[in-house]
Amino acid sequence: MALANSIPMRWPSGPLEIAIRQKAEGFTPQARQTLEYWHTAPALDFLQGSPVNCLVVSWAAGLAEDAEQQRSMQPLVAAARQRNVDVVGWVDAKADSQAAIAAAKSAGLTAAAVQGFTGKSDFPVIPWGERGHAPWQAASEVIAITDNVWPGVAGRAAGGGGGAVSAGPTALPWLDSNGWFLQVAHAMTNTPLWILFDPPGKGEVVPARSYQTAVCDVEIGGGRWVISLDDAFRDGLSARKQDSLDAWKGLSSAVAFFSKHPEWKAYRSIGAIAVVSDFAGDNYDFSGELVNALSRRDLLCRVLRDSGKELPPLTAVKTVLRADPTAPSAALRKSLLAYVEQGGFLVAAKWAADGKPVADENEDFTMRALGKGRIAVVKQDTPDPWEFVTKAQSLVSHADDSAKLFNASASGGFTFTSSPDGKRALLQLLSYANYGGGGGRGGAGRGPGGAGAGTVPLSSLATAWTRLKYRSAQLWTLESAAPAKVEVAACEDGGTEYHLPAMSAYLALDFEV
Amino acid sequence: MGLEINRRTFLTGLAAAAAVPARAAITPPASPVAIAKCKSYSESLPVITKLMDQLGGLGKLVKGKTVVIKINFTGGPTTRLGYLPQSRSYWTNPQQVGAMITLLDKAGARRIRIAEGADSPFVSLEEWMYKSSWNVTALKNAAPRVDFVNTNIAYPGKKPYARFTVPNGGLLFPAYDLNTVFDECDVLISMTKAKEHTTAGVTISMKNLFGMTPNCIYGAGAGGDEPLKMPKGGRQQILHGGRGNPPKSSLPELDPNSPRQDTYRIPRCVADINAARPYHLAVIDAVESISGGEGPWSPGARPCSPGFVFAGTNGVCVDAVGMALMGFDPMADRGQVPFEDGDSALKLAESLGVGTRDLKRIEVIGTPIAEAKFDYRAVPGGIYLRGQPRQQRQPGQFPGRGGQPGRGNQPGGPGPTPAGRG
Repeated sequence: MALANSIPMRWPSGPLEIAIRQKAEGFTPQARQTLEYWHTAPALDFLQGSPVNCLVVSWAAGLAEDAEQQRSMQPLVAAARQRNVDVVGWVDAKADSQAAIAAAKSAGLTAAAVQGFTGKSDFPVIPWGERGHAPWQAASEVIAITDNVWPGVAGRAAGGGGGAVSAGPTALPWLDSNGWFLQVAHAMTNTPLWILFDPPGKGEVVPARSYQTAVCDVEIGGGRWVISLDDAFRDGLSARKQDSLDAWKGLSSAVAFFSKHPEWKAYRSIGAIAVVSDFAGDNYDFSGELVNALSRRDLLCRVLRDSGKELPPLTAVKTVLRADPTAPSAALRKSLLAYVEQGGFLVAAKWAADGKPVADENEDFTMRALGKGRIAVVKQDTPDPWEFVTKAQSLVSHADDSAKLFNASASGGFTFTSSPDGKRALLQLLSYANYGGGGGRGGAGRGPGGAGAGTVPLSSLATAWTRLKYRSAQLWTLESAAPAKVEVAACEDGGTEYHLPAMSAYLALDFEV
Repeated sequence: MGLEINRRTFLTGLAAAAAVPARAAITPPASPVAIAKCKSYSESLPVITKLMDQLGGLGKLVKGKTVVIKINFTGGPTTRLGYLPQSRSYWTNPQQVGAMITLLDKAGARRIRIAEGADSPFVSLEEWMYKSSWNVTALKNAAPRVDFVNTNIAYPGKKPYARFTVPNGGLLFPAYDLNTVFDECDVLISMTKAKEHTTAGVTISMKNLFGMTPNCIYGAGAGGDEPLKMPKGGRQQILHGGRGNPPKSSLPELDPNSPRQDTYRIPRCVADINAARPYHLAVIDAVESISGGEGPWSPGARPCSPGFVFAGTNGVCVDAVGMALMGFDPMADRGQVPFEDGDSALKLAESLGVGTRDLKRIEVIGTPIAEAKFDYRAVPGGIYLRGQPRQQRQPGQFPGRGGQPGRGNQPGGPGPTPAGRG
C-alpha cells in the first residue's frame, strides 16, 4: 500500500507506552487497561468499515521497554496485516534508529518513522521532525511533522484550558490552526505530509465535533492528520459505548469525505499577497508567523519559497512581502525588481534600497518608486510578525480580495485555492467553534444533535463572496454524498455572493472557472 | 406645503440646531422635518432630491463648503443579519450616500468627506468598506472631491483632535475630544438608519453622532496620558460602562459616582454630543432596516421594510418625527416604550436646548406621519423581551424600568417597577 495515500492513526499501546505514560501525572488504572487492550488484536475490530488503514505504533524510545514492546507487538502486527492495515513503527529521537529500523523490518512492519532521517535504507523510512526543523529535503514517500496544534478557538476549544476565549490583538477570538504551516510546508516540499498532534489531554472534554475539526483543518491545508484519540475516546471505543462509536463514525466520515476529493490536495491559494522567504532558522519563525497573522486577518496569501532562484510569474499578485532581513540573491532580487517595475508592490525589510524615494507620510515605511510600482521599506525592523502585519496592512488592501466571508470569520477560517490547471477554484470554510448543535463528545456524554435543533438563527447564515463570477458553483458538506446547488446573488461591488446553508462544521464551494 | 417650506432656509435650521441656550431657560427650537415614501434604494436620488427641495434646497447650506457625512457602521464589516448586506439591514446605505454626494456636488460643495470610525485592524475607512463589499469606487466617482476619514484615530497633521464643549456643563462629560475632521468641516450631515436600540431605545440621527467619539480616546484600553495610536476596542469600557476614564489629555467625566449603567450613560452621552456638536442636516433611511435592536447581535433583531426616508436639520426634531414614524411616542420617558431600559436621549437633549420633541411644534413636510408610519414592534419574529432584567444590572442601580416581558406593541405606560429600581 502506498503510504502517501493511506489514512494513518496513532495507536498507543503496550508496555513501552505504559512506561512512558506512567511517568506522567494522572495516569490511571483505566488508562493502563486501555493501553493493554489496544495491544491486542480484538482492539482492531472498531476499524472495520472505517477508512483508517495504517497504524502508527510506539516502536522505540530508547527505554528498556523497547524490546518487550517490539516482541509483544507481533500479534497486533499480524492481525493488522491480515486486515490489510499497514503498521508504521514510531521511533523516538532518543532511540537507536538503526536498530529500530532493523527490528521493524524484521517484525514485518510497513515502515519506521525516524526523526530527521535523510540517509538511505533498504526498508521504508518516514522522516519526521518538528515544524521548525522539518526534513524537507528527505527523499521519502511521506514526511511527518510534529509540534502542531490542536485546532480550535483558543481558550474555548478543547485544548485551551476551558473558560474564557482568549482574544488576539484583533480582539477577535484567536484561532489555532495548522493551515498556515501547511501553506509554508507546501512551498518547501511536494512530498505528502503527515501532521501529528494529540488531543489536549489533562482530563479536558474533547467534543466529537472537535475531532472532525482536526481532520478538516489539516485536509483543507492539503495535509493528512495522523488521527489521535484521547483516553476517554479510546476507553469508549474499547467498551463499545454508543457515544464513542457515533463520534468515531463522525470522524471517519470526515476522513472519508476528503478521501473522495484527493485532487483538492494539489490546489494552492489564490491570494493577492505573496509571502517570500527562505523559511530557514529565524526566518521560519518570523515569516511563518507572518503567514499565520495574514490568515487571521482574512488576507489570503500565497507562499513562495526563496530558494535563491528567480520567482515564478507573480500573476495576479498585488503585494509581495519579503520580511527576511538579509538581502536576496541576485536572481531573486532581479525577479522582485522586475515585478515592481511592472507595477507590483513590494514590502521589504531594510535591505531594499532600489528605486527613488517618494514623499509619503507613512510612519512605518519609507516609500520608493521603481518603474510602474512601489517599494515600501520598513523603517524600523521589528521582531514581532504581528506588528509587521499590522504595519503592512496599511499598505495592502481588501480591495484586492479574491474571496471573503460574512457571518463566519469570528470563529471560522477559510481558504480559497485553485487547481494546478486553473480550471477550478475551491473555497473551503471551517467553523472552529465546538459549541452549539452537533455536539457530543468523543469519550462519553450527550450524543449528537445538541440544543436548538430545528431553529436556524440568522447569525448562522453565512455568505461567501468571490470577485470573479464562476461558470458554476457546487456546495459540498461533510455529510453530502453529492454536491448541492447554492443560491447565487450579485453584489453591489461587482462581486458574486453565495448564500450558504446553516453550517455544521465544514463546507466547500467548488467552482468551475 | 412645499412652496411654503421653500421660503424657509437652511440657515434658519442651522441656527436652530446650533443654538444651545441655557438649560430650560428658553423653549427649545423647532425645525421642520420632511418625509417621503421610498420603496427601493434605486429611488434614492429622486427621493432625497425631493426632501432637500422641501427643506429649502442644499445650495444655501453647502455651496463652497466642506461637508462631512457621518455614516453609521456599527458592528463589524463581515457581520450580517442572515444573508442581508449591512446596508440593507443596519448600516447606512451606500446608494443613499451616493445620491447625497451627487446632490452635494451639484449644490456646489467644495469638498465631501465621508466619516466614520473603523476599528482595528483597519487603518482606513475604505478598507472597512471594501471588507463589507461597499462599492468605494462608485462613491469616489460620484463627485470630484470625495475622501474618507477614519474618525476612530487621529486626524493627520498637527491637530489630531478637537475639543467640543457641551454648553452649560454637560450631562456625562463636560466636553468631548473628537477627530478634527468634525471641527474643520463647515457642514455636518448625519446619515443612518432608523432602528430600535438595545441600550438607547432608538437610534436615529442623534445616536449616530455617538459614533464620532474616537476609540483611541474613549475605547477599550484608552487611558494614560495621551490617546492611543490605534484603537484596542470599542466604547463599552469607558462610555458604556464607566469603567475608567479617557486619557488625561481629555476631560474626565463629570460625576464618577453616577450610575455605571449603559442605559443611564449612553442617552446622556448622546445628548451631550448633539449639544456640543449639533449636525446641520440629517437624512434618515428607513427604506429597509431592522427591528428589535441595532444590529444582528441584538436578541430578536429581524429585518423590516418600513419604506420611507426623512430629513431635517435639528437632531431632536428629526428623532421625534422618526420615533413617531416607527410607532413610538417621542414624549415617552424612561421606563416607557421604547425606553423600557433607560432614559430618552431626546428628552435629555431637549433639556439641553437642542430642540423640541413635541410633535405639535414640529412642522412635517411631504408625506404625513400617519401615512408613512411603520410599527417596528409589530414586525413578527422578535424574541427579545424588552424590559427584562439584563445581566449586568445590579440591584439598586438606575433605572426604574417597566414593560412587561412580551409586552411589545401594547400601548400604555410602563409596567411595574421592581423594588429598589426606582
